[in-house]
Amino acid sequence: MNALKYIRGDRVIWTVIIILSVVSLLSVYSSTGSLAYTKVSGDTFYYLFRQFKYIILGLTVIILFQMIPYRIFSKLSIPFLLGAIVLLVITLIKGQDINEANRWLAIPGTSNTFQPSEFAKFALIMYLARVLGNNQNNLQDFKGVFLKLIGAISLVCILILPSNLSTAAIVFTVSFILLFIGRIPTRYLALFVGTGIAGLALFLLLSTAMSREGRITTWKNRIERYVTGKGDNFQADQAKVAIVRGGILPNGPGTSTQRMLLPHPYSDFIFAIIIEEYGSIIGGLLLIFMYLWLLFRTGLIVRRTKSTFGAFLAFGLSLGLVFQAFVNMGVAVGLLPVTGQTLPLVSMGGSSMLFTSMALGMILSISWGVEKEMAAQADDEAAEKENSEQVAAEQVAGQDLMEESVHEGDK
Amino acid sequence: MSLKRNILIRVSVVYLAMVVFAIAILGKMFYVQLIEKDKWKEAGENSISYKTIEPNRGNIYSAEGRLLAVSVPYYEIRMDMRSEAFTREVFDRNVDSLAIRLSRLFNDRHWTVYKRNLVKAREKGDRYYLVKRHVSYSQLQELRDFPIFRLGRYKGGTIFVQQNQRILPHRELAARTIGYVMQGDYGSVVGIEGAYDEDLSGIQGYRLMQKIPDGNWMPVSDRNEVEPCDGFDVVTTIDIDLQDVAENALLTQLMKHEADHGSVVVMEVKTGKVRAIANLGMNEEGVYTENFNYAIGESTEPGSTFKLASALSLLEDGLVEPDDKVDVGDGYIVYGNHRLEDSGDEGLGVITFQEAFEKSSNVGISKLIVENYEKRPSDFVDRLYRLGLNQKLGLEIKGEGAPDIKYTDSPLWSKISLPMMSIGYEVRQTPLQVLTFYNAIANNGEMVKPLFVEEVRYHGKVIRRYDKTVLNHKICSQETLEKIRPMLEGVVERGSAKNLRNSYYPIAGKTGTSQIADANHGYTKGRYQASFAGYFPSDDPRYSCIVVISSPSQSVYYGNLVAGPIFREITDRIYIQDLNMQKPGTHFLAENTGAPYSKSGYKRELESALKYLDIPYTSNEHESEWVKTMSTEESVVLRRSDISSLYVPDVKDMGARDAVFLLENLGLKTEINGRGTVRSQHPPAGTILRKGDRITLKMSITEG
Repeated sequence: MNALKYIRGDRVIWTVIIILSVVSLLSVYSSTGSLAYTKVSGDTFYYLFRQFKYIILGLTVIILFQMIPYRIFSKLSIPFLLGAIVLLVITLIKGQDINEANRWLAIPGTSNTFQPSEFAKFALIMYLARVLGNNQNNLQDFKGVFLKLIGAISLVCILILPSNLSTAAIVFTVSFILLFIGRIPTRYLALFVGTGIAGLALFLLLSTAMSREGRITTWKNRIERYVTGKGDNFQADQAKVAIVRGGILPNGPGTSTQRMLLPHPYSDFIFAIIIEEYGSIIGGLLLIFMYLWLLFRTGLIVRRTKSTFGAFLAFGLSLGLVFQAFVNMGVAVGLLPVTGQTLPLVSMGGSSMLFTSMALGMILSISWGVEKEMAAQADDEAAEKENSEQVAAEQVAGQDLMEESVHEGDK
Repeated sequence: MSLKRNILIRVSVVYLAMVVFAIAILGKMFYVQLIEKDKWKEAGENSISYKTIEPNRGNIYSAEGRLLAVSVPYYEIRMDMRSEAFTREVFDRNVDSLAIRLSRLFNDRHWTVYKRNLVKAREKGDRYYLVKRHVSYSQLQELRDFPIFRLGRYKGGTIFVQQNQRILPHRELAARTIGYVMQGDYGSVVGIEGAYDEDLSGIQGYRLMQKIPDGNWMPVSDRNEVEPCDGFDVVTTIDIDLQDVAENALLTQLMKHEADHGSVVVMEVKTGKVRAIANLGMNEEGVYTENFNYAIGESTEPGSTFKLASALSLLEDGLVEPDDKVDVGDGYIVYGNHRLEDSGDEGLGVITFQEAFEKSSNVGISKLIVENYEKRPSDFVDRLYRLGLNQKLGLEIKGEGAPDIKYTDSPLWSKISLPMMSIGYEVRQTPLQVLTFYNAIANNGEMVKPLFVEEVRYHGKVIRRYDKTVLNHKICSQETLEKIRPMLEGVVERGSAKNLRNSYYPIAGKTGTSQIADANHGYTKGRYQASFAGYFPSDDPRYSCIVVISSPSQSVYYGNLVAGPIFREITDRIYIQDLNMQKPGTHFLAENTGAPYSKSGYKRELESALKYLDIPYTSNEHESEWVKTMSTEESVVLRRSDISSLYVPDVKDMGARDAVFLLENLGLKTEINGRGTVRSQHPPAGTILRKGDRITLKMSITEG
């Protein structure tokens, strides 16, 4: 039980993390069968153990981050964002060509690669939370606040865009939602969306004019095929076959056959494989519920926290994860065109696991901070109300009072 | 409204939006599962499957490492005109140069035709457009560099499909023993290919293939999902030069005597290694081909070669000595209502057992057997059984003919069975079984199993090695051996095979001439089998050999005349090549008029050969590895021979082996017509060399 004292923050979020880690182990083991045969001569345990290591690493990162008082993240956000931008520039210049998408960067001295865009996403959310949290009183300040926000968002999106349209789109959407939650005036939001659309149009125009091949052709074809439904929809079709094979009730671990056919069954299409093996109730419904639950619990943190920065950061990070998860699932069921988004916490992969864990660690740190604040507050309140007759209703009243005190504090 | 409440409302709105997103995903999921169920189920069953990729089949080599059977890959060039990243721009920009280069490489159609077809396929959106069939490996290497093709599967829609074809570089030589494997319901496995199929065939790989609307299958990705593992190579015991001699000698005799079919087997005495095995039969068009493995598969009444078993039996049982007399009278004897005759016009009267054997007297041998075994015929049959003559050799190669030696309790046993069996009738043996028996006599009584394969290798590494298998350590006593071997030598010295005698090396053996039994007509006059089985040199046996020729022409059918010459040609050949066998002082060459003629070839080997033979030679060439020769009065002159990798070298006057070595090393494919030395070559020396080109060598000795 001693070890449990390091497990801080919302126990429900922890439960979700543990459940998703187990799902990850099972489905990665199932879906790496063919990869194991082509890459490591049939050692099917290789990827299982590797994923297990990643999960342990991830849990360690979560525990480390949750120990950090969350206000430090506000200060860290600026160096993080600067670092992320530098990495994005480096990647753009000399990224490793994996599947023709220059989105990976080799970590010097190791054989590992990681996607700086994943890091940039979280760094940007941290920065947005900071700026929004610090400026709730002067949101109308166009130059001082809005330009800062839109500048950071545009820079990150433009740097990600050439290699990874879908991540850029996710970053843009999550940023927009964060600005909305952060009470940015509607006219500024409209301007933001307009800028985004204009920027994308300009980029597509430029790249078509420069006749760059590769990614842009891929997007064009993918979107074309998604819209018209014609042509070679191999991945999407095979994912649907997997979903149909899965049926309503579980077939059991290791029963997937589509894992042999789907490219990247362990990352992009892992949701289809999970449905194929565990059915649409357990594999589909419950898995989606897990992510919704995570988002809901973050909503509770927002409700309880006194700090606007903490609220924006927690919800922003959580939304980033859950939105990415839903995009991944949407692709797997054919709701969205094919992209290369992974399913956070579940898909195989080290760098995605690392950054997801950092985000979860920060959320839990905020959650723990809120608990401490509440405990302190409750003590104060209790001391104050000791003479009062409402001791019995302490719990209920505590929340109301806290909200009021936040209200006052913000004013 | 408080700030807190405002933010919380906004968070709730976003949360609800996410719930809507989740419901949309679930909705689509259930829609796919419930409404579109049949469509995807069908798609899952039909559209995709793993196709096996055949691994490269292992090669079959001769003992000295020359290729007997090899799989040559051929490629089919196809294009997926609607590959994801294969853009209109890329196609339009490169289609002209691609068409021009295709036309130039294959030289079959004008480039505009290529272009028209490519454009048409592109417009149609053909996903598996066939550009060219039967493309060789070297052509493929060039193709990889062509515009569009060099972009690969994804950006250029390029698909190369490999297909393998088995070829026998030496064509008919030992073709039946090398064999083949035919797949399918009526498939069959023959020869070494069949016997070692498991080793040769390797492990299949898998490739994910996708069905496209026009019914073709197309690979999904650029590489194989599971790479195939190449088969092992099999190194046979066959000596291709000897095989060549055997096959040619057999062919010559078959044609000369218009025989139906024949076989020759040459075996190394000590090890049982089969050095040559030729089987030729006349096909419907009257041409002799390797159409059946007679040596292994055809079990016939051997005739007189079987008298060796009878003689051995008499000696081993101590019943008769070589000097014992037997009266063959006027050359015939009657058993029951069957009359046995000796060949030749007049009876030999009283002769020794040895003479009866040497002259192959049916009367003499059968008389001695009947006299000694009449009361206990089972003793004779037991002896044959103890020699193992009633048992198959247990060859790896399928289809060994079963020997047949009936026991005395057989319903087919009759009064004349004993005398008939004694001279090789009413028994059946395959040529290889007879040879194995003779080889045991040559090998000091040790009977070894014929060996066809020495090693199984994988990329040059030895996986398995096959050593000799002893079937019987001593088939008879040493005394018997010492008595019977002079009798076999006597056959050639003064008996029925006198025509094989020569002054260079002694031969031991036995002729056989037997009438062929016809199922309907009994023994018909005019259908004969002529054979000769023996070994040489008889004082220190190195090789054993059997020649069997079936249904030669009526006029000449005696074993010594029909089968003997083949035996002699083979032994001559071995003797000339094997310096160890030649005794000092023997000179084959007639009067020495200047330096002898020498083949051109590899300098170091030529020099050591000339030195060994004490033939004077002059060489002013120090750099070149390969030399041309010229014989003068005094010496053999070695001159420089220009070998570069840019031009086809001059291989004139080289032996086949040197020429092939040299040419194949330069990347050319050689085709040899005939044997001896190279008389002419095509393409000629000095032509620009292109790897993979075929070069035809016409040799000094060609058949037909």
